[in-house]
Amino acid sequence: MQETPGDSLCPKYCMLGRPRAPETISPGFLGRFYSVITPRTSWWSGPAVLLLTPASQSLRMDSEAAAQLERQHVHEVYESTAAYFSDLQGKAWPRVRQFLLEQKPGSLIADIGCGTGKYLRVNSQVFKLGCDYCGPLVDIAHSKGCEVLVCDNLRLPFRDRSFDAIISIGVIHHFSTAQRRTRAVQEMARVLAPGGRIMIYVWAMEKNHRHFDKQDVFIPWNPALCSQFLAEPVPSGQKHVCGQLRVAPESPPQHPTCSVCGYPMCLQKRQESQRSHSLDGSGTPSCCGKLAEVKDEDSGFYNILGRSFRSWFFSRSLDECTLKEQAEKAGHATEEWAPCHPVSLQPSKLHHLDLGDQEPLSEEQDGAIDPGFIQTTEWQSVPGVLRPLPGVSHKGTQNEQQGGCFLRQSTVGQSCRSAYPGGGEKLDTSQDWKRTSLPPPFISLAATMSTGASQLEALGSKAFIRYYHVFREGELCHLLKQYVPELQVLSSINDHGNWCVVAEKKPGLMAH
Amino acid sequence: MKLLTHNLLSSHVRGVGPRGFPLRIQATEIRVSPVDFNPDFVTRMIPKMEWTALVEAAESLGHLSELPQQLAEGYEKDEEFLRKVEVVEGTLQCPESGRLFPISRGIPNMLLSDEEATS
Repeated sequence: MQETPGDSLCPKYCMLGRPRAPETISPGFLGRFYSVITPRTSWWSGPAVLLLTPASQSLRMDSEAAAQLERQHVHEVYESTAAYFSDLQGKAWPRVRQFLLEQKPGSLIADIGCGTGKYLRVNSQVFKLGCDYCGPLVDIAHSKGCEVLVCDNLRLPFRDRSFDAIISIGVIHHFSTAQRRTRAVQEMARVLAPGGRIMIYVWAMEKNHRHFDKQDVFIPWNPALCSQFLAEPVPSGQKHVCGQLRVAPESPPQHPTCSVCGYPMCLQKRQESQRSHSLDGSGTPSCCGKLAEVKDEDSGFYNILGRSFRSWFFSRSLDECTLKEQAEKAGHATEEWAPCHPVSLQPSKLHHLDLGDQEPLSEEQDGAIDPGFIQTTEWQSVPGVLRPLPGVSHKGTQNEQQGGCFLRQSTVGQSCRSAYPGGGEKLDTSQDWKRTSLPPPFISLAATMSTGASQLEALGSKAFIRYYHVFREGELCHLLKQYVPELQVLSSINDHGNWCVVAEKKPGLMAH
Repeated sequence: MKLLTHNLLSSHVRGVGPRGFPLRIQATEIRVSPVDFNPDFVTRMIPKMEWTALVEAAESLGHLSELPQQLAEGYEKDEEFLRKVEVVEGTLQCPESGRLFPISRGIPNMLLSDEEATS
């Protein structure tokens, strides 16, 4: 293993980042369902690349898996980290502010997923009610004078047609299945008055020219790394949101400095200096960049926290696993389906090489690097690390033989493939959802995720891992049009890496 | 929890449907806070309220005398009651199922277990 000068700067990171001989990664903690494959390269100073493949694909779980995943990778994370945000004042996202300010005096407005109540203080002429799944965050909002309650977006405790306007800012992307995301919107439509409007913000898979490789993302962060920055003034620091609630993207900060190398994050230079992160001591100012969290509303704080991110990983969505199960049951050729590779842990090293990975959602990086492309490039340029060829990874065995992280995998034909620039890919997944009845059992992704988290912890990094389903272009609109007919979509735009949709409840239509 | 909020809340226990409204308040601690009178707000808010439920709620808090039983002239001034009174500690009870939802430190917790909730 190489010693890296950066160790003293961020030891926890380096623990994550240190290569491990395979024998030090005990497969046992990953559970009996998965095996670990690590590449061996002498020069490799990143963490082991872990490819988890289930030994058994017949594990079936009911929809509790979705709730379990959300409990572990949404609710518990927010509950555990709420205290970090109690002192932060957030700045409202401009479009959301405007939406709220446009409401008539005396309007009843619900913020479903209000977190610490950032939007509950906009527009004193209306009555605002916030709700969130996360008790600690709701407590914080209440302490600031907001009217709030604790409830579940999937079962809103409100009578039909009660609110004149509803906002859902960075919330429904935390639901782990299409069914739950749809249900969340249906519930909000139910409690919306005819003629009332709803604004929904979710993370976009496409962000300018960059995008995640897959839609289901687990993003870890280690708050301990950021304790030194808690006092740092944040231009637009925000509060954290909990549970199903989520944060909206934040306004761009000005050249924050990397917590690891101390260099200003000069995004333009990332591309050329990818290998020369401070960990190697060469200290080129292309540092960690912002992490995915930057895009969050609370990313002011997350800007800081985000630097503690060193990797995130993608998963197969729970829906994909369900469809796979059903296809198998239907007797379809199983070679169409890769064995479920629930998790690939992308090595930190590559994340530094591919700084785009860490900031696809950061809006201030307009026109900068496309993480999708850079990932590919970097993978290819890393000697000794085999990578899957795009579009080829139908065969799980192929991935295994390659022994490297898979970056993308085809599942249901083309429809689940990562969108690439152009964003014009149709939402074929919706077709799949239509074909299948609502999800019966599927492979336990929740178990996978828990082992993923255990794995990170075992590597010495106490990481909170949050789950996001990032939306493709048109996906949210399609969801509304297909499953929430009482809502009329008025607009849909990409606002700094978020899909912002505004819809109006049609008069006279009964809710679902 | 303010009375205005209470007027919007409905129990979502499985099978209850619209009979889950209004929830019965059992308050052990309430607080009355001053609220700036906002006639425009009040005028627009009243039509959205379920008035009978509001009266029942106020009655349960012992403030019935502050609200008219029927909508009448000058009701606007009484509407501030909607925002002034807050239940700090207590419970909300589903009128149909009897299920209790706690109010703690002013915050109602409306979470249901999977078994209780409508599927």
